[in-house]
Parts: sequence; C-alpha cells; structure tokens
Amino acid sequence: MGTMGLALPWEARISSAPRERGTRVEPFQHFSGGTSPAAGDATDEDATLAAACQSGDLRAYERLYVLHGARMKNVARNLLGSPMDAEDAVQDTFLKIQRGVASFRGQSSFVTWTYRILINTCYDARRSRLRKKEIANDDSGETPRPELRAPGAHPSLRMALERALAALTRHQRDVFLLYEVEGFRHAEIAGMLEITETASKNTLFQAKKNLRQMLEPPRSSGAEAR
Amino acid sequence: MNVTCNDRDRIFEDGTPEEWAALEAHASGCPACAEELRAWRTLSVAAQELRDYSESPALWARIERALVEESPAKPQPVNRRRWFFFLPSIPLGWQTAVAGAFVLVLTLSAGWIYLHRPIRNVDTDKSLLKSGALRDVETAETAYVQAIDKLAAEAKPELENSSTPLLANYHEKLLVLDSAIADLREQAGMNPSNAQLRYQLLAMYREKQHTLEEVLEAKQQ
Ligand SMILES: [Zn+2]
Repeated sequence: MGTMGLALPWEARISSAPRERGTRVEPFQHFSGGTSPAAGDATDEDATLAAACQSGDLRAYERLYVLHGARMKNVARNLLGSPMDAEDAVQDTFLKIQRGVASFRGQSSFVTWTYRILINTCYDARRSRLRKKEIANDDSGETPRPELRAPGAHPSLRMALERALAALTRHQRDVFLLYEVEGFRHAEIAGMLEITETASKNTLFQAKKNLRQMLEPPRSSGAEAR
Repeated sequence: MNVTCNDRDRIFEDGTPEEWAALEAHASGCPACAEELRAWRTLSVAAQELRDYSESPALWARIERALVEESPAKPQPVNRRRWFFFLPSIPLGWQTAVAGAFVLVLTLSAGWIYLHRPIRNVDTDKSLLKSGALRDVETAETAYVQAIDKLAAEAKPELENSSTPLLANYHEKLLVLDSAIADLREQAGMNPSNAQLRYQLLAMYREKQHTLEEVLEAKQQ
C-alpha cells in the first residue's frame, strides 16, 4: 500500500480527545499518532475525508482503510467470530460507503457513519448466516464462533469472555466491544449505535455488571454498605 | 469529596475523575469496594484479549479492486497522480530530472504497448464490438475527445510559454501522447470494432487528460 507514508491533508482521528477516565488503558495510541489535535482539526479532517470519498477519490478510501481498517476488522471479528467473515464484512462496508457516500450529509462524523455501516453489515451477515443454517450446533443461534486470534492472547480468558459476551444483549455487546476493546468514547458510540450518550454509559454499566456476574461472581456481599 | 459504598455503582456508570479518585480512596479502607473496583478493572484488562490489529496484507488490494469494479464513475486508480504532489517541494533541477525520466518511461511504455498490441484474427476475436455497442463507444469517445480538447485549449498558453523545465517536459510528454493517440486512432480506424485498441486509446486519452490537469494545477501554484 503505497500511501502509508504519505502526508495527505486528512488525518481522521476519531479518538483524538482524551477519554473520560484516566484509569483506562488507551488502546488506540498508534492510530491517533501521539499528539492530540484540536477537536476542530479532527472535524475538518473528517469532513475532508468525506468530501474526498464523495468525489470518488480512491486515495480517500485507502486513507480511511489505513486509519481504521484494522479496527474495523477487529470489530467485525468480534461480532462475527471469524477473521474471514470479518474481512468480507469490511469489504462490504467499503462498498456500501461508496454506494451511499453521495447521500452522506454530515449529520454525524463521517468515520462514525462508516462504523455504523460496519456494525449493521455485521448483523446482516450474522442474520444471513443464520438463514443459511451455517451455524451448526449453536443453541442460541446468536453466538459468534470464536476462531484463531492474535498470537499471545490468553486463550482461556479470551474464550470465557467471548462466551460471556455472547450471552449479553446485542446493545450491551456492541457497547462493551466499542468502548472497552476498541477504545471509542461514549459520544462516538452514541453516534454509531444511534442512541444517547447516557444510554451508552448505562448500557456499558449493565454489560459489565452482567459480565462480572458471569465471569467472576462476587464472593460475598457481607461487607457492603458503609 | 466523600463517597460511600452506595455511590459505587453510580461512579462505575458515569463518575467524574474526582469521584473515581474518591472511590479509590474509600476502597483503600473498604474491602468490598476494593474487590468490586478490582473486578471492574479486570474486565477492562480482559477486554484487551479481544483486540487483534494484525495486518491483513491482501485485504486493501481486494477492497480496492471491488471499489473500482463497482464504481459507476470508475474512480482514479490510486497511483495515478500521486507523484505529482511531491514535485512542488523538489528543487527545479530534480523536477526536470523526474519529469524527463517520466517522459522516457512513458515513451518506452507507449512504444511497447504499440508494438505488442494484440493483432488477432478478426473472425475469432472475442473482444470485437458489435455495431450497436460500437456506435455508443464512438459517441462517448467523441464527447470525451471534445472535453479533452477543451482542457488542452485551456493549458495551451502555459505549455507554449513553457516557463519552467517541468512545463517543458509536460509539453514533450503531451507531444508523445498525441503521436501515440494518432497511431492508435489510425489502427482503430482500420479495425473499428477491436475493443482492445479502444481500451488502449482510452488509456492514452486518460493519460493526456491527467497530464493536462496537472499542467493546469501547476499553473495555479
Ligand atoms: Zn465501600
């Protein structure tokens, strides 16, 4: 991919603003490139990227891929359970962006819009996979099939988490993945899932509470309420 | 700030950094909150296990192909004009060398394409255009040529003055392109339904269009 090192005028950094809580690990430093540009710059860059995609400039799509391809693929893999399905979903997403970019009017950020398309694409893929009965021996019919992941990942913890995530509601799973795994802010997640920021925070709280129950039930509640 | 065990869930859901700090201070003396805080953070750490940003080397190429295939407007292939963006920051002498090298490569490529163009038996060639399609191609081609001629007229004063070595090289490149186009048109005239020749011609026209656009962009800078 030739443009990797090219300084193009746009740099859509969706997660450039500091996260709400300093205690969390910031997962996307390598995408945001260290320094935090002003929010206005990020907005301008997002608009530039959108305009370039609207003009049919393939370099803009490539730029979008360079900035977000890996994260998009990871979101898709966590929703679909398979790296191959994830790659298909990312490709479909780019095609849908190309088909629909003319109608993008900037109601949300362009990058947020692309992730909304990605998430919907993943759920469409899951539904069509269900229809084709490709998920064998799956009692819930909604559980992603975990496959090979990053080398070095802790297999038992990962699998336990995947199983627990599959038992959450769709929204809880989406918000948990987008916030805790991908490092998006609640404002961004709200735009992607078309919910309010408060709903995103509440859904994350419920998701983590449920996961905590499933993965590590509280040992006792005797020492509570001081 | 004073927090109690009862504030814990609210802070987990939407606490300010100050409230988180206060909860931590509270947890240092409250085993139940310390345990909940630990478990809450463990989930965030465990979530890292679901992150894999490893490269998919072939994925972009696949997406790019699909985008080009599906695009109604056939977006420009990515490499088309990328080199041009470097030029303003390169000293004039190097611009001359770069543009000269480009002209040389283009001349050689045009020659190669011309010499190696497929000369096939008219009867068996599957790339022959049917007469209806041929009419469409010719109409579209005429419109395209007219549009390029307009562009050429706009760039003409700049090219004739050729105030920089870069422009002089563009001028040369366009002359080479025009001669290649003339040859291909002659071939296409003798064999109007050969789609291969049409594609080659179209590629030459495209190159001419982009070169003219670059001349006009250079003029603006
Ligand atoms: Zn407490």
